[in-house]
Amino acid sequence: MQKLTGLLLGAATLALAAPVLAEDSSDPIIIPTHNWSSQIVMSNVVGQMFEGMGNSVEYVSTDSQAVYEAIRLGDATLELEVWEGAFGKSFNAALEKGGIEDVATHQAITREDWWYPMWTKEACPGLPDWQALNDCAAKFATPETGEKGRFLGGPVDWLKHDAEKVDALGMNFTVVNAGSAAALWAEIAAAEKDKTPIVVFNWTPNFAEAVWPGEFVNFPAWEAGCDTDPAKGPIPDKTFDCGNPANGYLKIAAWDGMKDKWPKAYAALQKVNFTNAQIAEMAKLVDVDGMEPEDAAAEWMQANEAVWKPWTE
Amino acid sequence: MMTATLPPPPLRLDQKRIALAFLLAALVLVIFRPALPAGLIRLPEGLILPFADWINATFAFARDELGLMTVTRAFSDMVEACLDVTANLLYGKSRWPYVGPIPWAVIAATAGMAGYALGGARLALLAGGTFVWIAVMGQWKWAMETLSVIVVAVPFSVVFGLLMGTLAWRSRLAERILNPILNIAQSLPHFAYMIPVVVFIGVGPKAGAIVTIIFSVPPMIRMTLLGLRGVSPEIIESGKMSGTTRLQLMTRVRLPAARTEILIGVNQVIMQSLAMVVLASFIGMPGLGQKLLQLLQALKIGLSVEIGITIVLLAIVLDRMSKAWAVKQPEHATGPWLYRHRLLLIWLGLVALGFVLAWVHPYFSEVGRKQALSMAEPVDAAVGVLIEMISPVTDWLRWFLITWVLIPLRDAFLWLPTTAVLLALAGIGWRVGGLRSALVCLAFALPIALSGWWDRAMITVYTVFVSVALALILGVPLGLLGAVNEARSRRFLLVCDTFQTFPSFIYLIPVIMLFGVNDVAVIAAVVVFATVPIVRYTIEGLRGIPPEIVESAQMSGASPMQLLRHVKLPLAVPTLVVGANQSIMFSLFMVIIAAFIGTQDLGQEMQRALSSTDVGKGLVLGFAVAFMGLLADHLLLKWAHGRGVALRSS
Amino acid sequence: MTASEVVISCRNVWKVFGDYPDRLRLTPDTTMDELRATSHIAAVRNVSLDIRRGEMLVVMGLSGSGKSTLVRCLARLLDITSGTVEVEGRDIGKLTEPQLIELRRKKMGMVFQSFGLLPHRTALENVAFPLEMRGQDRASRIARAREVLELVGLKGREGYFPRELSGGQQQRVGIARSLAVEPDIWFLDEPFSALDPLIRREMQDEFLRLKGMLAKTIVFITHDFDEALRLADRIAIMKDGAVEQIDTPDRIVMAPATPYVAKFTESIDRARVIHAGALALPVDGRPVEGDPLPAGETLHALARRIVGDSRVLIPLSTQGRISGLLDRKAALDLLLGPAT
Repeated sequence: MQKLTGLLLGAATLALAAPVLAEDSSDPIIIPTHNWSSQIVMSNVVGQMFEGMGNSVEYVSTDSQAVYEAIRLGDATLELEVWEGAFGKSFNAALEKGGIEDVATHQAITREDWWYPMWTKEACPGLPDWQALNDCAAKFATPETGEKGRFLGGPVDWLKHDAEKVDALGMNFTVVNAGSAAALWAEIAAAEKDKTPIVVFNWTPNFAEAVWPGEFVNFPAWEAGCDTDPAKGPIPDKTFDCGNPANGYLKIAAWDGMKDKWPKAYAALQKVNFTNAQIAEMAKLVDVDGMEPEDAAAEWMQANEAVWKPWTE
Repeated sequence: MMTATLPPPPLRLDQKRIALAFLLAALVLVIFRPALPAGLIRLPEGLILPFADWINATFAFARDELGLMTVTRAFSDMVEACLDVTANLLYGKSRWPYVGPIPWAVIAATAGMAGYALGGARLALLAGGTFVWIAVMGQWKWAMETLSVIVVAVPFSVVFGLLMGTLAWRSRLAERILNPILNIAQSLPHFAYMIPVVVFIGVGPKAGAIVTIIFSVPPMIRMTLLGLRGVSPEIIESGKMSGTTRLQLMTRVRLPAARTEILIGVNQVIMQSLAMVVLASFIGMPGLGQKLLQLLQALKIGLSVEIGITIVLLAIVLDRMSKAWAVKQPEHATGPWLYRHRLLLIWLGLVALGFVLAWVHPYFSEVGRKQALSMAEPVDAAVGVLIEMISPVTDWLRWFLITWVLIPLRDAFLWLPTTAVLLALAGIGWRVGGLRSALVCLAFALPIALSGWWDRAMITVYTVFVSVALALILGVPLGLLGAVNEARSRRFLLVCDTFQTFPSFIYLIPVIMLFGVNDVAVIAAVVVFATVPIVRYTIEGLRGIPPEIVESAQMSGASPMQLLRHVKLPLAVPTLVVGANQSIMFSLFMVIIAAFIGTQDLGQEMQRALSSTDVGKGLVLGFAVAFMGLLADHLLLKWAHGRGVALRSS
Repeated sequence: MTASEVVISCRNVWKVFGDYPDRLRLTPDTTMDELRATSHIAAVRNVSLDIRRGEMLVVMGLSGSGKSTLVRCLARLLDITSGTVEVEGRDIGKLTEPQLIELRRKKMGMVFQSFGLLPHRTALENVAFPLEMRGQDRASRIARAREVLELVGLKGREGYFPRELSGGQQQRVGIARSLAVEPDIWFLDEPFSALDPLIRREMQDEFLRLKGMLAKTIVFITHDFDEALRLADRIAIMKDGAVEQIDTPDRIVMAPATPYVAKFTESIDRARVIHAGALALPVDGRPVEGDPLPAGETLHALARRIVGDSRVLIPLSTQGRISGLLDRKAALDLLLGPAT
């Protein structure tokens, strides 16, 4: 009995002292990776940073929408790239259910929308206005879309609502979804050869801006609720009658048990902050230089020690 | 065509007439389509049943009210505990028992020794060699991540399969309930399994393991049932007369006597697990599959071929070893203790040697990425050159197929009134197997119409139709070529095996590179996969013709062409139809996976359902795919069977 | 132990296969056709017989006559549809499962046509299997199994698997297994019919040797009449599930009860079957001259002596006492066929 009391007391002291003394749990921190390169490299950068601090890290490849549910349940520990346009909705839904928290916001500003490489402008000089784009829809026609123009969207799991946008704005386009980001780049590269006009889904920060100069299409400006409330936006009875947010956030999310289980790692995570240029650089190491994500992360860390070292202290 | 040379199979006249009536009715609907009311072209909104909502409500009820979540979580914790042990041993994940990773040299030696014990020197070389290849190519960790899950999933599947197989064997009722479930389960696309698992288990290795377990159980149930049924009654009686209790009879007489079938079941479980574990990367399963998925997303063909080779090698090794185990009969041992246990001793020696090597030089413990060999660069370069070279051809082909074949066909399929399709299916069913088959066809087709996914389903049907047609055009001549002599057919069949075990989504990479994001790429990927069974069954059908028949035709003075046209092909048709049937099944699976190229069919919706973890939608789509497969299966096999009977009796 | 004690007793045993055999009302007069009309088939029809201790009953009939079914009813490997089977006075139809298992573990042994050996166990482990089932410890059951294997002449083959043994050797293992628990009742279901004729002969001799060594009640199934005559104390002849006649070999041959049995015995070399004693006439005060012949031998075995004998009535002896007189002419008729 005495022994037990002693143990309990010990445990209580430990618990009280926790904020100061606590060591990170030896369980691995689980970092989810998705299907675009910057996120994989960034995950590896932060993962290797944690490993440098003595933590063990595991990577799991997960779906980029389902991941918020996984974080809520503690199956995954954190998410380094919460894009407002793509995942804001899933993230907010998870926040409401609880179990996940908004840890930090990157300096980087994100934008994801319809995008075209510069040579397209020659065929359709009115760009970047969306109505001008719609007027030269036939220039974007492909065999499979017939008369209509083709818009090459991202993988369906990015849930971009492009088809809804086409419908709401009455555009003369058909949305074709690529199965992966790489398929997008393959199509742009193919179009570059004979300067075929092409309009695809793209985002910033991304390596693509460096390789193929281009611009986003200007849709009616985003306003909050445009995706849920028909009254918002120019068309009174349609949702999605607007572009995506032009300066969206890029956040870091984490399981709300992380700060207790891995307090040191959590403290470091709060300081993690990347810029557009850094993120594009990471993507480029993989997408252009063809490195493995692990190696790309190691290389980036070597070159940018001044950036991440302070976060660990 | 070729059927003209044979007497028509015996059919009752009325059966023919009724079938004709149905087909005519369908034709009338097609001809008068412009005049049809909308309700006949597509089922009216009011008739569309919200299957997905019902399934979701059932799942929500099971999860929240019945507390199924607690059960599944408890089960997944158990699986995870096992996974932690294998993960630690095989690739040193920091979990109990904290002893791993075992050096690769030790595992390769163990595999070689197991190969030797089961199948002699050749198998030893294959097994050991495979693991050496994995190590020196720098894929050790990924391969071990994959294996650590298989090692756990297979025993679970085997135990479940044995239990459920025994249950089905004991109770007629259980068998009657299980049989249709197994039929559907074996034709559900892989992704349909993943969504409920994500809901109940989550993502990561344990979800991968559990989806693998669920996916690989059905063949084990089947083989257990078959094995238990097949035990000779005298063996059972001899057991009873030895005074066994029921339990003793089961565990010491029936199950051991059904050993061979059960081990073949184990073999099938292993092969299914390997196929699933690669695909399970979509729900966070690490290992070879995840690497391959990343490579697919980056369109890197060279590295993914390396990984593909590893997966094929692993599949061949596991297949050969488990088959050798199933076939191996016990042999009595003689001689002194040392001689009888020589294999054990040699193995221990090799293991010790492996540890010593690993201790002497870290290369034998783990091959670093920098030390690893790679053939990715030359492969990438070669593929690049090749694509550059043939791109004028592929561009033209793409344009031609899309404009003149695919788009018109797709539009035609979508243009068909739903009611006409249903009537035509009933008519074909009636022609093949009477009222019963007609009802079976409707029972499979009607739910698809009622689910509201008709248009998407028609696109899937169109893709499969085109792919299988192309596969027939390519596969039958290849099969004819392969069936010329014994040695060549063996070579062709080996190639077929390899193509079939190659993880299906490797094929997506070159087709995207060749054709871009469109239906041609999808169909090209599906055709590669769908041609394999056609070639295989053409060869088997031709080689299976009794030599006397061929000889008698030769004595009648038939030229080789005549022999082929009038004798061999007609006789091979029933087997070929079985091949076409399998080709359809393969196509359906591949079409769903081809959603990663970008499709507009059920597969794309399935991918969307997987992202939003919408169980109801995922399962409805899965069932739609399964029903299409089962419908084709029913019609073709029924027809082939009738045809086979007619041929044998004539 | 009295010679007349009944060990197995069947009364009006029926075994009917079909959808609802329990709903049938079976009487001794029920015919096959009546059953067939309700799509049932009777494998055993109204069989009543007694088997006494130490006796060897051979059940014979053509394939499909129900003999194998009958023996399975006696061992309750099949539950009978109607009637009773008593073993040592207990109705085995009423035994609970543990009692039945106990009975099989202690009292019964069975040998099967295609041996019924467990393919995954060695010869030794197969023989030890029934002992293992009744919970005997490893050392003693292995010792016992070795002993029985030696008895059937398989010393040195203990470690072989059934697959590695010849048919005759496998059946020796089957016999050894059935004898391992020292059963009182021994069922043999066509034990030699899967074997080559030469081996069969050898196994029959082996069987007779064992039978001589062990006093057991034996039910032996065969479709081979010669085998039946060679081995039996009594023979039961079955046709369509019913026992046509149950009697000693001599009586079966000399006094067939039905035309079927008569037809069955037609082509038999009677002299090889009929014992001198079966032809014996009572002495009734007639003179007994010279040395007697043994009554227990077949006429065939005595042929040379009968032909060479000149007496009209030859005395016969059973266990050293004169038991009757043999009419030499009747014996010669049987041996050589009636004089023309």
